[in-house]
Amino acid sequence: MTTPNLSAQSTFSGTAVRNNQASLPLQIALVTWRNLVTIFRTPTALVPPLVISIFFLVIYESTLGKAAGFIPNLSGNSYLGFILPLSIVSSSLSGSGIAAQNLVRDIESGYFDKLLLTPVSRTALLLGPILAGALILGVQASVVIGVAMLLGLQSATGFAGLAVVVGLAILLGTGFAGFTVSAALGSGSAAATQGASFLFFPLTFLTASFVPLDLLDGWLQTAAKLNPITYVLEAMRGLLNTGWDSTALTQGVAACLILGVAMYALAVYALRVRTRRS
Amino acid sequence: MSNREIVVENLGKEYPGGVTAVSDVSFQVNSGQIFGFLGPNGAGKSTTIKILTTLALPSRGKARVGGFDVVDEAERVRRIAGVALQEIGIDPLMKSTELLTMQGQLFGAKRKDALARAHELLELVRLEDAADRRVGTYSGGMRRRLDLALALVHKPEILFLDEPTTGLDPASRRDVWEEVRRLNRELGMTIFLTTQYLEEADELAEVVAIIDQGKIATEGSPSKLKASVGTESINLAFESRATAETAVSHLSDMADNIQTDRDMVRLYMSEAAQTIPAVVNRLQQANLNPISLTLTQPTLDDVFLQVTGQRLQTEAAKPQAA
Repeated sequence: MTTPNLSAQSTFSGTAVRNNQASLPLQIALVTWRNLVTIFRTPTALVPPLVISIFFLVIYESTLGKAAGFIPNLSGNSYLGFILPLSIVSSSLSGSGIAAQNLVRDIESGYFDKLLLTPVSRTALLLGPILAGALILGVQASVVIGVAMLLGLQSATGFAGLAVVVGLAILLGTGFAGFTVSAALGSGSAAATQGASFLFFPLTFLTASFVPLDLLDGWLQTAAKLNPITYVLEAMRGLLNTGWDSTALTQGVAACLILGVAMYALAVYALRVRTRRS
Repeated sequence: MSNREIVVENLGKEYPGGVTAVSDVSFQVNSGQIFGFLGPNGAGKSTTIKILTTLALPSRGKARVGGFDVVDEAERVRRIAGVALQEIGIDPLMKSTELLTMQGQLFGAKRKDALARAHELLELVRLEDAADRRVGTYSGGMRRRLDLALALVHKPEILFLDEPTTGLDPASRRDVWEEVRRLNRELGMTIFLTTQYLEEADELAEVVAIIDQGKIATEGSPSKLKASVGTESINLAFESRATAETAVSHLSDMADNIQTDRDMVRLYMSEAAQTIPAVVNRLQQANLNPISLTLTQPTLDDVFLQVTGQRLQTEAAKPQAA
């Protein structure tokens, strides 16, 4: 075997390395890319959430689709368009655990420590898994929408509206992923992270899950009005069933942003605790 | 200005809950030295390395790595230090080229340069053939070598290795030793390594510090430490008991203590190796020819026993599954 000349600084100047720093967007892209690679290499974690949400979509539609005519105030043209957003949101929930499971594996393997020893910014370390998770949710949402179209979904706002629905799913996914990433950082354990992602589950029921908001019982209606998911569902339903509605859209995006920022703050805190170097 | 030195003064570390991992440790590692930190499990080796590599904060005391304070200038320390921790920190789903390239890019290299460096390092640790396989399929020895490569991506000036050969089979262990020596020799890299194997410290380190219960029990070059235990001996065998007795009468002033056992003579002294020529000279003058001459030196195990009062449980002899 020929011995490479270690002393040669040809390809990787020593002094350059001392001072160089990858730009923040590049760092984020690198960490996100790396998370996506590992997610796609564990397809077994990817498929079940998708199958479950398609299963629910079909069940809901088959159970309630024909009864939809009896539900008053159901805006627009179909129950499918009404129930599809719930299916997308619950697949976002169950899917958001994927990003966090990656992080848990990194913490367990020690790779996370290795990353902490590079000049990588804490922002990239957090945003990497969150964005990877959110992008995966976007892919899942697209697949669920595809199935819904096979079931006869017709979007009131066409393909552009469907794209916005996917965009909303991605945006909402950053919030969910921020939460599970916080759980992963806080616990460092796969089981605890899995458990924590279930905490979000009731949120998909404390909302106008199956019938429009004004048909809910008093207390549930109050809870639903406080639940950011309600506004995301409303925005998606509007796009699918009635048409472009800037108020609903603004509220939906705002709800995603509020959730996303709050969960990101939680993740920052969790990372700070983990890396306190105590 | 970095100087490739490690200076540690009265370092101490308590974990929350009052467990003292390191009680009071001071030492200095000079530029370009291989420094062996030897001690049993739980002696404080890993905690010390975590503090020096900025992964943990000390409770008291000071430490400078390459002239930078590990608390206040952690970022600078990370730039000049390479670290391979005991738990091999690699994601089993990634391929080694991917891991190395990304590591290089995170250290600010352009993708092209990072890729070139990755190939250079893969060649160095002889993993070119496995470069495009997932790390999960690697043997223990291969993972260690990759971990070492990852620690070298940014051309560190000071390398920290936490038990680099624990769990490796003897052949892989020798490979790692060879690599460590080469990095030190060709790049002048300062190398701080912890080990629980006496043999490893003896093979690699110019200076060894023995840590026991959070304190440095003794420090020095392996040969000096062994000499300090003071039981070196020159062993001579002669044709007969009579010749042996004649020899003793000629050599009596050369050793601290002489033992005779039939035709065998043992001369106990410090610096026995250096005394061999004089002994041979004296015997030739007296026209006495020994059948054999051997040198017995104390081992680091003897040193360890003397300073800590116990033997270091060494698994070095037991080959383990790679």
